[in-house]
Amino acid sequence: MTRAITPVGETPATQSPYVCDGNHAAAKAILHAGYDGEGYYPITPSSDVGEAVSEAVAAGETDIEFVIGTSELAVAGIVTGMSIAGGRAVDVTSANGLLLKAEQMPVISGLGLPVILNLSTRAVSGPLNIKNSHDDLVQALGWGWIILCAPTVQAIYDMNFIALKIAERVNLPAIVAYDGFHTSHAVRKISVFADPAPLRKFLGAPAPRPTLLDFDDPKTFGPYMNDDLINNKVLLEEKMTEAARRLPEIFEEYRALSGRAYGWLQREGDPEARSILVALNSAGETAKLGLERMRSAREPVGLVIPTVLRPFPEKAFVEALEGARTIVVAERVSQYGAGNFLANEIGAALQRAGHGADILQRTYGLGGITFTEDDSLHLFDLALKFPDVPEAERRIKAYHGAWPGRTDGNGQKGAFCPLKAEDLRIGANGGSDKISLKDIVRMPDRIGQHSACPGCGIFSNLGLFLRAIEGHVVLIFNTGCGMVVTTGFPNTSFKVPYFHNLFHNGASTATGVVTMIERFRRQGRLDAGEVTVIVVTGDGGDDIGMDQVIGAALRDDPFILLEYDNKGYMNTGGQLCYTGIKGQISSNARVGPAQTGKRTHHKDIVEILRGTHAHYLFQASEIFPVDFVRKARKSQRFVREGHFVFGKVFSVCPLNWGMEASTGPDAARLAVESCFFPLLEIEHGKTKINHDPDVKKTRAPMKDLLAKLGGAFRHLASDAHSGLCAEIQTEVDRRWARLKAMHESALL
Amino acid sequence: MSPVMSGKPSIEWHTCPFTGLPVEMAEVRAGGPKGVSIRYQCLTRAESCRPDVCPLYPPEGEEIARGGPYELPYRAERGFCSILMSALGGDGANTAAKLLFEVALTEMGLDGGLDAKYGSEKTGTPTDVSIRLTDTAAPVRASGPTRRPHILVVFHPQLTRSLGLLEGVRPDATVIVNTTGSPEEARELLELHSGTVRVLDATGIARRAKSRLNMPLLADLCRVMGFPDASLEGPISRKWPRQVEANLAAFRGAREEVRAVYFPAAGRFPLRPPRSLATRVGYNTMLNGSAIRASEFLSAPKPGSRRSLLAAPAFNREACIDCVLCLTVCPDPGALVWRDGKMAGVDPGYCKACMRCVTVCPTTKKGKALTAP
Repeated sequence: MTRAITPVGETPATQSPYVCDGNHAAAKAILHAGYDGEGYYPITPSSDVGEAVSEAVAAGETDIEFVIGTSELAVAGIVTGMSIAGGRAVDVTSANGLLLKAEQMPVISGLGLPVILNLSTRAVSGPLNIKNSHDDLVQALGWGWIILCAPTVQAIYDMNFIALKIAERVNLPAIVAYDGFHTSHAVRKISVFADPAPLRKFLGAPAPRPTLLDFDDPKTFGPYMNDDLINNKVLLEEKMTEAARRLPEIFEEYRALSGRAYGWLQREGDPEARSILVALNSAGETAKLGLERMRSAREPVGLVIPTVLRPFPEKAFVEALEGARTIVVAERVSQYGAGNFLANEIGAALQRAGHGADILQRTYGLGGITFTEDDSLHLFDLALKFPDVPEAERRIKAYHGAWPGRTDGNGQKGAFCPLKAEDLRIGANGGSDKISLKDIVRMPDRIGQHSACPGCGIFSNLGLFLRAIEGHVVLIFNTGCGMVVTTGFPNTSFKVPYFHNLFHNGASTATGVVTMIERFRRQGRLDAGEVTVIVVTGDGGDDIGMDQVIGAALRDDPFILLEYDNKGYMNTGGQLCYTGIKGQISSNARVGPAQTGKRTHHKDIVEILRGTHAHYLFQASEIFPVDFVRKARKSQRFVREGHFVFGKVFSVCPLNWGMEASTGPDAARLAVESCFFPLLEIEHGKTKINHDPDVKKTRAPMKDLLAKLGGAFRHLASDAHSGLCAEIQTEVDRRWARLKAMHESALL
Repeated sequence: MSPVMSGKPSIEWHTCPFTGLPVEMAEVRAGGPKGVSIRYQCLTRAESCRPDVCPLYPPEGEEIARGGPYELPYRAERGFCSILMSALGGDGANTAAKLLFEVALTEMGLDGGLDAKYGSEKTGTPTDVSIRLTDTAAPVRASGPTRRPHILVVFHPQLTRSLGLLEGVRPDATVIVNTTGSPEEARELLELHSGTVRVLDATGIARRAKSRLNMPLLADLCRVMGFPDASLEGPISRKWPRQVEANLAAFRGAREEVRAVYFPAAGRFPLRPPRSLATRVGYNTMLNGSAIRASEFLSAPKPGSRRSLLAAPAFNREACIDCVLCLTVCPDPGALVWRDGKMAGVDPGYCKACMRCVTVCPTTKKGKALTAP
């Protein structure tokens, strides 16, 4: 992922040029603002903000409390806690992250907590898209948060201070929204303050507010309200009015400090123009290029780029659009079956002011399509010529840049014949769990070509597992590398029915599917022979979705949940997962004078699930294939008998571990021989170790494993970290000794 | 400012007292009959410059000393020069681009933007990075990848067609190609309309120097841009402190090897517009919920795909005991071909050359059946 390049020297003045991308501009602002705490959960395209802050934490350059949560909702809780305790708290997210924390958002505003959220905007959709749309941003319009928009990398830095100051003046939370990738990953030269002191002075002391840690005057927060709630909301509305009153002076103060002027919106172009384009953020910035072109052609057009969405600057919009005859409101989002968000608000504002104008709504650039100068020219032209434009353009609401597709020769017909149940039999050993490796050779691959990195452990594990499963299979994937590298639209790697839902709810989705399989079978609506549902998740999916895994286990729903454990959020760029080894380097847990990678020992999900008393839990490694295949067969047998199965497989990640792809099998073997990843199964409470390195006299020290796993771990095998290495060894020994005791006693 | 003993200027950042903008200031020392003379010059030109009051604004016609005036090799609308680097994840194109960008902004007095293609960047998947540079004070307003490059750096010419690399390339472009072939061959392969084709065996140079593909290609891009070689060597050394020698050897190795030929527009190949986003599947032809029918859209190796660049393991049937271990660790379905219960070979269309199978392949009396090429 993008890193800031370097500060470009120092100037004697208060500001210096700084070359960075938008996310690093946000991180710089967070460090300069002097927050007490940041809550963090990775999500593309905002992950880098927290990574950059964590880098400063490890380097000892900041004293901010940087807390990594188990999910976006958890992080929303963490920053709420920080804020109610009286701290200055900041959070960063995108897309699904914002929606997952949705229920906390109106709570934060209703409690009057001045939390700041940097939102690197991204699409939220059915089929996954990780690029830019404003689907997330518009969700926040009604949450009682102040919303400021940053169309440039420079504005991200600046808007963070303006947002924090207004938030702390009126005790409301604020969002700084900028375009994912188009601005978050755009590297530009900006000006930043060389010393945060003038910024801290600008921010000043927050307005007083009641906080939790007041023992002289204890207070209750978050009471149970009935008819009184309306008054809480009136208070919120009044604060928004107050924010609207104070924002201009804060913009002016910041201009005096920085030399950069911001306001309610930017109004560019011909002041008398009767044809105006309204576009938000990076598209507005690009449209300035089109505007220049239109002006050089002496075409009278104007451009409005909103800066503040909440409180909605009705007066500023009316002034900016006064006299306009045609307004094209371009939005990177749509409100399906209704007028678009910004267009509706602008229309209502103009109507209240007694101005009539044709307002055309154009949805553009969904899912990251770059809005180009040519696109802006097209929309300016539309504003100029409407209604004298082609029929299709005369529609009030339309999508700019979509395509209908061709009906001739879609795909490659007959490229693949569906797998038949009779081809999906192992044969030889009938019902036995234990089969020879030769028996799996004839099983057809259910997954075809994919674009995972060379040597990816996900697909060796998954391929081996599926080779041991008979009959039809339905695959349900949580978000992760496994999903992203297999289904780049319009192509798929799956020869069998496959569904990717969300990052965390594969287990619940599978419950829904198996419930219908059973029902349809009972009703005679499904005649496919045996069908095994397998949920495939990374270890991250079992952090954020742990509750749903436990739920499925407690309901004993008949499907297999297979976790590929690669010790990190690898799809988002190698962030920390709780499965990681203590001291492991992640992109948000680095090694520096103030920190040595991950702060805690690795999560043991099988032990967590032991408490559900599930019928079958196991750990397996591809490097012990006979044991692996037997466990896959046994899993299917338990599902056949109507039970839930959870299995965890050790999965190397050459990319984010920094290891040679060819050494994956050796690393996987050492993980087992060091007792770090024991081969085990727990059958309805009874534990069995399947490979005991002590007995086999193959036991390896953790140091050997850490040296083998790649750059994210290798430092732990060095003399500099011998103490930490010994601590990891002690923890592994402790867990192994417990496991052996449980292996020896059926009662444990 | 620190004194410099040569005639080359020392350049530092200052804040302009008239505009408040950060500006670059050069200190030029020159020896004369009366001793050393010191002269200051501002290197920044901005719209808000005040030549009427600024004593450091050079008189009309006087070039700014920087060891010679610097000129961008191309300047399109608004004074921008656009570069596109096309590579695979893991080639280091992104890092190389950032180094060049850093030098452009800090040492060459340029401004601009760097925008990489982002998404699911896995090792070996196609990626690109765009750089826009300008010597004017025009703000960088466009974002996202450039679709109209002046300079194209092709890490893997075999992918030109499948990626549509030449679509949108401007006339009289400069294309740097990693190839062992001639500029004429490269031009034919690329179907370049017009411009200069520069070829070098970056793969070979990198291999010999134990460095990466990005170094020799960055070196040639640096030369096309007219940046002093030395300007990149410092940042390269700082970026990879443990591979300084290897990287610099690869960087310098590119100097001798480049062959360049200019091809005028002779109507041989058409100028192609930027690739349209529209594909065969659109809103009228999608299944409900954008479902994908496996029987129509199952991923399969394509000729000219990136896998053709990789060397699959060699297979010796004689040494094979059909133990199946290779199959148990292979991440790429279809790569290991089994027929009638026996291992039959490696399909290079599916193999990504991770060599896991080589690692687990047992050594028998006849040696290993699978070996690294």
